[in-house]
Amino acid sequence: MLTKDLLRYKIKSGKISPQFVNPTDEQLLAVADQLISVFEGGINTPRATLLESSKQIIDSTPGAPIVKRGLEKLLLDRTEFDTAPNEELIAFRQKLFTETSRLLSQKQFQNYEDYQRTVLDTIAEGSRPEIAPTRNEAGAAESRSKIAPTGDEAGAEGSRPEIAPIGEVELGAKLYADLPSNQPVLTFNTLSAERLLHRYNAAQVQGLLLHCNSLTLKLSDSMTAELRQLFKYLRFNQLLSTIRKEGELYEITVDGPLNLFYKTKRYGMNLANFFLAVLHQPKWELAAEIQFRNKRVSRLSLDESCGIKPISQQFLAYIPEDIQLFQTMLKNKTEDWQIRPGSQFLPLAGDFYCFPDYQLIHKSGVETAIELFHPWHQGHLIARLNTLAEQKDVSLILGVSKELEKKPLIAEALETSAYFSQFGFTFRDVPTMRSLLPILNSFV
Amino acid sequence: MSIPLKISFDKGTLVLQNVPEALQSDLPDSRWDERTLTFRAPAYRYRHIVSQLRAHNIAYQDTARQFTVESFRHGKSITPYPYQTEAIDAWHANGKRGVISLPTGAGKTFIAILLIADTQRPTLVHVPTIDLMHQWHAVLTEHFGQEIGRYGGGQHELQDITVTTYQSAVMHAPHYGNRFGFVVFDECHHLPGEQYQYAAISSIAPFRLGMTATPERVDGKESRLYALVGECCYEAKVQELSGKTLSEYRVMTIAVEMEDTERVQYEEARRTYLSFLKQAKINMGTSRGWHTFLWRASQSDEGRAAFKAYLTQKQLSFASTTKQEWVWKLIQRHRGDRMIIFTQDNDTAYQIGTRFFLPVLTHQTKLKERNDFLNGFRDGTYSILVTSKVLNEGVDVPEANVAIIVSGSGSVREHVQRLGRILRKREGKQAVLYELISKQTGEHFVNRRRRQHHAYQTS
Repeated sequence: MLTKDLLRYKIKSGKISPQFVNPTDEQLLAVADQLISVFEGGINTPRATLLESSKQIIDSTPGAPIVKRGLEKLLLDRTEFDTAPNEELIAFRQKLFTETSRLLSQKQFQNYEDYQRTVLDTIAEGSRPEIAPTRNEAGAAESRSKIAPTGDEAGAEGSRPEIAPIGEVELGAKLYADLPSNQPVLTFNTLSAERLLHRYNAAQVQGLLLHCNSLTLKLSDSMTAELRQLFKYLRFNQLLSTIRKEGELYEITVDGPLNLFYKTKRYGMNLANFFLAVLHQPKWELAAEIQFRNKRVSRLSLDESCGIKPISQQFLAYIPEDIQLFQTMLKNKTEDWQIRPGSQFLPLAGDFYCFPDYQLIHKSGVETAIELFHPWHQGHLIARLNTLAEQKDVSLILGVSKELEKKPLIAEALETSAYFSQFGFTFRDVPTMRSLLPILNSFV
Repeated sequence: MSIPLKISFDKGTLVLQNVPEALQSDLPDSRWDERTLTFRAPAYRYRHIVSQLRAHNIAYQDTARQFTVESFRHGKSITPYPYQTEAIDAWHANGKRGVISLPTGAGKTFIAILLIADTQRPTLVHVPTIDLMHQWHAVLTEHFGQEIGRYGGGQHELQDITVTTYQSAVMHAPHYGNRFGFVVFDECHHLPGEQYQYAAISSIAPFRLGMTATPERVDGKESRLYALVGECCYEAKVQELSGKTLSEYRVMTIAVEMEDTERVQYEEARRTYLSFLKQAKINMGTSRGWHTFLWRASQSDEGRAAFKAYLTQKQLSFASTTKQEWVWKLIQRHRGDRMIIFTQDNDTAYQIGTRFFLPVLTHQTKLKERNDFLNGFRDGTYSILVTSKVLNEGVDVPEANVAIIVSGSGSVREHVQRLGRILRKREGKQAVLYELISKQTGEHFVNRRRRQHHAYQTS
């Protein structure tokens, strides 16, 4: 994600507009390509060297530096550095500092040079091989195992190792050679230049959403698997939603539990992550109020015409494992019912809607749906039971995790719910046919 | 038969069901939530809501509260100082809520330990840094002789007494905010931060204690602290305790002349930086000044040169050669003492550590080495520690008696906290704080402003 200083936006008449880059701009694609090449070739390179190389590209190519630094930041997010502690260097420092501390506490030095010489001499002393770094060092990234000779290197028969005196410059470079700037690149998750530019545009929106309280989406109900994924993202990000129908569109307001009391940006990160699922929808409109610290509120309005391609993985091409398992289990028990992933909104009491996880179709044409409640859906479940208590004409089966059932409030709510006793069941990992089939058959 | 009112905990909030109509407007901060078709209130209102229900004689079913009365045993017999007893009494009198303001080294941790033992409720202690989390963990283990949990810095262990970082609490309080009846906020001036406040909001704990040396905030948000934790119920200032429960101390300011070549570089860089500010009409005295400068500096070559010049003049005033010479003089002067050298930034800290072959403690230091440096400093293996900011707050190094501030921010709080590192009482200890100030630079004016704080009035 991009930090605030890397965001590009304009505010005019209370409206905030992210400044997207053109993902087909050849000049920018070329710069992106060069930056990606630097990162691809950067494996084992220390962080400082990698950043120096990318800075050269940022400084020497045409285009706005802020955009190029944004691209660099997104590439850094895909880079893993070796942050494991360098045990040998740590042990070396421990011994050296014990020694310097003893010297500084006990000895009066004529001047700094006298002290420096004494420290260097101490290191070079054969009697203290354990604190002596070796000479032949070619860069910080290779520093491991070269700081102190092992017992074997020190001579199998107790002979003194041949350690040349170490210079001040050399010791200085070595002493804290494991700082982040010297950490080498372990892996880089590469991508194409075009994809990087789309990712950049998405990150511009995400960067703004970090500063919002809630967002409103308008979606048509003609979509299926994409919507299912959207609602999975919503639940995964621990957000709450209110779904209403407005004309032909469903309006979904997304925020968190505390939004009722505070204009909090507490859920900004959750909303920014949720935006990735929005990009998978063929038609969408998003509205949000953005407020930077001590600034006025600005309105963000976006729709699919912004042209940002989805950047997160899409799982629509295959049937999810849970559905496959469910299908097999159902097929083993009965040929009468077919199962499909949930694909449409279901109207509930008032003007509320829910989006079930599965659709079930009987060979006679009778249809019903299942909504599953996992341990983190306590609030949703209470709301659903409240709504269904007043509902007479809905065909919805509720599956509730046994983990959730352990909570006293939920256990009691389930026990006292007439709806749940007729159309509900509990499950451990996945729903079983034993508990589901009797309910299904009550519909036909 | 009427359905009883139910209170449950949901992600840092309270869900209220079956609320009688007559009561709906009386429950503090509770609102109808049409997303879940229930009433909802922020978790920290638990105590007020329950009190209200009791006052109205309304039966309720409470599944929110997931803690009971404990039987913590405080294994050490230590008599508190009179002012500590006063602070404890004041907190009890304030309804077991409130902020206690005492200088560093005055035994705030000990007060919290006594209150945990008094309160007998599962307790969550919030601290700003990982170092403090480990330090609290060690002290609580020693005093209570039972498993103490740690939540933060990669550890996720909840116990009846647990220490967590503010950052971790913001993330996880929505899940465990109903398991603790007593919450302690160490260095609680951090709590009113935009995100940190949710650590207090998302907890139902009826008993709350905030502790700090300096509750006042530049942004004036201490009122938020008092709303979430309780009013300031006890306060003692550093001079009141100096020489009694805190060490005697002196503050020595050393005005340092730059070398000629550095002075020329400094003046040139400063000129470039200031002329850009003037030309771009940026007023650094305003709250948006710094952000405006950063933004304008990124827009042109001239701006980038000005930013570079800004860094150069800052770096020269922070770490001039003469300052390093003074550091060497003071190291020699204080042979046998335990010294902390503070810098404003990591680069300067590592520069000094590398030049004098000294241990440097920054946020980049890995946990194992961090513990080695701190323990080694306490037991005398290392007599000097160099650090940028991680030792500013709370970390207990009672053996330290000399501090050198090579560079720092303009913040009064930072300097009072740094002073606090060397104030813990030891027999015959005379603490000295040296401030190295580059003559005729911005540092000079910053220092003058800082010295108006009461902590400096004894020097």
